[in-house]
Amino acid sequence: MNLEAFESQVLPVKNKLFRFALKFLGNEEEAKDVVQEVFIRVWKGREQMDQIQNWEAWCMRITRNLSLDRLRTLTRKPTQNIEETFDIRQESFTPHESTEMDESMNRITEFINALPEKQKQVIHLRDVEGYSYNEICEILELDMNQVKVNLFRARNAVREKLMKINAYGL
Amino acid sequence: MDSKKIEELLNKYWNCETSLEEEQQLREYFKGSDIPQEFKGAANLFQYFNTHKKKTLNDVSFDDEVLEKVRHVPKGRISTLVYNAMRIAAGLAVLVVAAYFVRNEVRKSTPQEIVDTYDDPKLAFEETKKALKMISRGFGTAEEKARKINLFNEAKEEIQKGEKENNNL
Repeated sequence: MNLEAFESQVLPVKNKLFRFALKFLGNEEEAKDVVQEVFIRVWKGREQMDQIQNWEAWCMRITRNLSLDRLRTLTRKPTQNIEETFDIRQESFTPHESTEMDESMNRITEFINALPEKQKQVIHLRDVEGYSYNEICEILELDMNQVKVNLFRARNAVREKLMKINAYGL
Repeated sequence: MDSKKIEELLNKYWNCETSLEEEQQLREYFKGSDIPQEFKGAANLFQYFNTHKKKTLNDVSFDDEVLEKVRHVPKGRISTLVYNAMRIAAGLAVLVVAAYFVRNEVRKSTPQEIVDTYDDPKLAFEETKKALKMISRGFGTAEEKARKINLFNEAKEEIQKGEKENNNL
């Protein structure tokens, strides 16, 4: 792989890698550093890329491993600033609807952040990034059964909490 | 899409039985407005997923930084070997040049007398002989002087002897 191919094919996945790293680290600067390190690793290992069937999943796996390494070395707790940086306002919403939406987003963020680590990763990869079950198995180094069980538990934990809010208007 | 179809898809979704295409249909549906109240919770959740997907690495110089770093990464294993070999060669070259200069300096500071001056062994032998003869002559002269001192000592002893005899008488 030459530099042009790297620039046109590999670099564009940066946002997926960034979002995934952010899920672990909760800090944009740290996540950015991890993504940069991932690309350097990918470049160093580009000779193996021909033998890798799904290089995007490979990049995601490296992102996960490096993020976990970094988490271990960080002494401070990850800062939960993800929700603060989202702009969820859409032109079609009235100010009242936007406020309501803000609240719902914050609640769902809370629900998802409260999930066990594996469930959080699986629901992110499937429902945010749209990866297939096989790809998720490859990224998280889990078997199909574990992936499905974790996704089922994650979706249903969030569903239960959503039903409670809607039932009691909390 | 009618609400019955959505309900059916949602049930499959909660049971993790939907395909990626069906999940995409749900995502598209919940992007729209006029969502029935019964689907409000699910709508919020899909809104959350859509919002999360929009999160991007907001740094215009990121690509350039990565490409710059990548350019400075040594190529493959062979290149690494060549690179290391060149480093060792450069180190050796520095040592050789340094040794050459040090040798020159030492030569300059060494006195000329102790440096070999003769390339022809015969000539060197002759010169050595000359030098030894010169030393030998020096010894000869010293011996003559010593003899004179001996003569003086003998004379002194004779005088002392004569004085003793006179006293006895």
